Amino acid sequence: MKYMNLSIKEIHNAIIKGEVTPIELVKEAIESCKKDDNNSFEYICEKEAFEKVSHLDPSKKDSLLYGVPVVIKDNYSTKDIPTTGSSNILNGYVPIFSSEVVLRLEKAGAIVVAKATMDELAMGGTGTTGHLGTTYNPWDKSKTHLIGGSSAGSASSVAAGIVPFSIGSDTGDSVRKPASYGGLVGFKPSWGRISRFGLFPFATSLDHVAYFTRNVEDSAIVLNVLAGRDDKDFSSSFKPVEDYTARLNESVKGKKIAVIKEIVESISNVSIKQAFNKNITALINQGAIVEGVSIDIKLLKAIYPTYILISCAESTSNNANLDGVNFGPREPGESFEEIMTNTRTKGFSRLIKRRFVIGGYSLLRENQEELFLRAQKCRRLIVNAFNKIFEKYDAIYCPASPTSAPLIRGSSDTLSDEYLIADNFMAFANMGGFPSITVPLGFDDNLPFGGNLTGKPFDESGVLAIAKTIENLTGLKDLVAKEGE
Amino acid sequence: MKTVTKDVLKSTANKLMFDMSDEQYDQLVEEFDILIKQMNLIGEIEGVDTAEPMTFPFDVTNDYLRDDVATLPENKDEVLRNAADVVDGQIRLPKVVK
Repeated sequence: MKYMNLSIKEIHNAIIKGEVTPIELVKEAIESCKKDDNNSFEYICEKEAFEKVSHLDPSKKDSLLYGVPVVIKDNYSTKDIPTTGSSNILNGYVPIFSSEVVLRLEKAGAIVVAKATMDELAMGGTGTTGHLGTTYNPWDKSKTHLIGGSSAGSASSVAAGIVPFSIGSDTGDSVRKPASYGGLVGFKPSWGRISRFGLFPFATSLDHVAYFTRNVEDSAIVLNVLAGRDDKDFSSSFKPVEDYTARLNESVKGKKIAVIKEIVESISNVSIKQAFNKNITALINQGAIVEGVSIDIKLLKAIYPTYILISCAESTSNNANLDGVNFGPREPGESFEEIMTNTRTKGFSRLIKRRFVIGGYSLLRENQEELFLRAQKCRRLIVNAFNKIFEKYDAIYCPASPTSAPLIRGSSDTLSDEYLIADNFMAFANMGGFPSITVPLGFDDNLPFGGNLTGKPFDESGVLAIAKTIENLTGLKDLVAKEGE
Repeated sequence: MKTVTKDVLKSTANKLMFDMSDEQYDQLVEEFDILIKQMNLIGEIEGVDTAEPMTFPFDVTNDYLRDDVATLPENKDEVLRNAADVVDGQIRLPKVVK
């Protein structure tokens, strides 16, 4: 019997009934990690996981995550476990503390079985730029398609049925896009809902903790464990947490859902459009009020450049500590400046350097007004436009990507303006801190694609309830890419 | 429209304490061309220059101050084990004052 293909709740029930023990679950997950051929892992925590699981407190077995294996993106600090952010500049770095997310998972009884590959330092959307190379999409056995990034290994490990859930991070769409390509549920709750303490910062004003599951209920279960104020993160919200599973079966009757016409119109893929329209009709039949709304196309096209400028600018200062002095490999030099320059020149890949230069250039005094500040001003207009929609609607629903997983060949992280709208709009939810979830919507040539639903800040329960109805209507849940398919 | 030259980009990279190959700077000049064009389009959006810059998704009011409880710092040996060059419990660098 294989358990890692099951939902969190099913695994929990199997533990309670005594059908399986946490040690057996960890064994199954670790063995699958070792067999993984999608380049999902930076580090398999075999010794650490068996040590932790052997000390689980049986009195806590009512916790739904008790004994459940989990994979963590390699930009979360894990005490005594190597953490590189998939960058050579952090090869060999072993944190002396754990991130709050990991602490909360462990307190709930979850067992960290591996650290996942990612785009270097979370900058990139392809899953090809980490120092271990490309992470593959488990749905495509020919290994010619992306799983997407930056949370690449976190996505592939859940899609492949190695673990039932994994932690990623989402600064532009780094969980919600790979979720679309992997047939997964990818949820980024509101900015401040989950503590970021111990998450390597990329762009502080846009970074969110986010995660993958294979169904919406599991997503609510994980949020129940992760949500809540943390004094160690000053951007963490004081808003009270809820039982996020409580409203899952709420009807969509009377719920107002907006579809952004310009986003849907910019998509050419027929399968995606058909599946989306079919789902909309089904939602209407359930009593939801679904209406097309417009946003100024100039604003929609502005999302990507605005995101790039703000994130690159913030990343330059957030990564200034990676200099080879206090931690990480150090390159030789005659002075400390030379050491830092040599270390950073060798340690960062070309993509990262390019992003840093974009950020550094936009922050130069002579460019700030026209670049960085203009981007921040544009961010305000973008968020205002979406907030205006939220005055009348409960949620915004669009296809999560204009295609299923793209081919690896030819996929580079250029600043091309192709798919400027449909391929990059989801960053609006990072700009406004909105809770945003991707759920499976259909298949195109045997590769999955998803829909994306976004709600008002801190309305996680409302978003999860509509997402659950979408899941019920598509019937697409608990998808696992099986061997040989 | 701003013209971005290779020299400016090299100087920016050097300020950030790294360098790139000539080919990478060339590629970056091309990419900047697209980015600057996109930013100029943003400049045409009505109201953009009078909007208030948005630095965070929403205002976070934080009146929290932790209790003043004495705690021991992280274990020094654990902290130092990540540094490449350590001597007598300190991180060693080339001489700064010459």
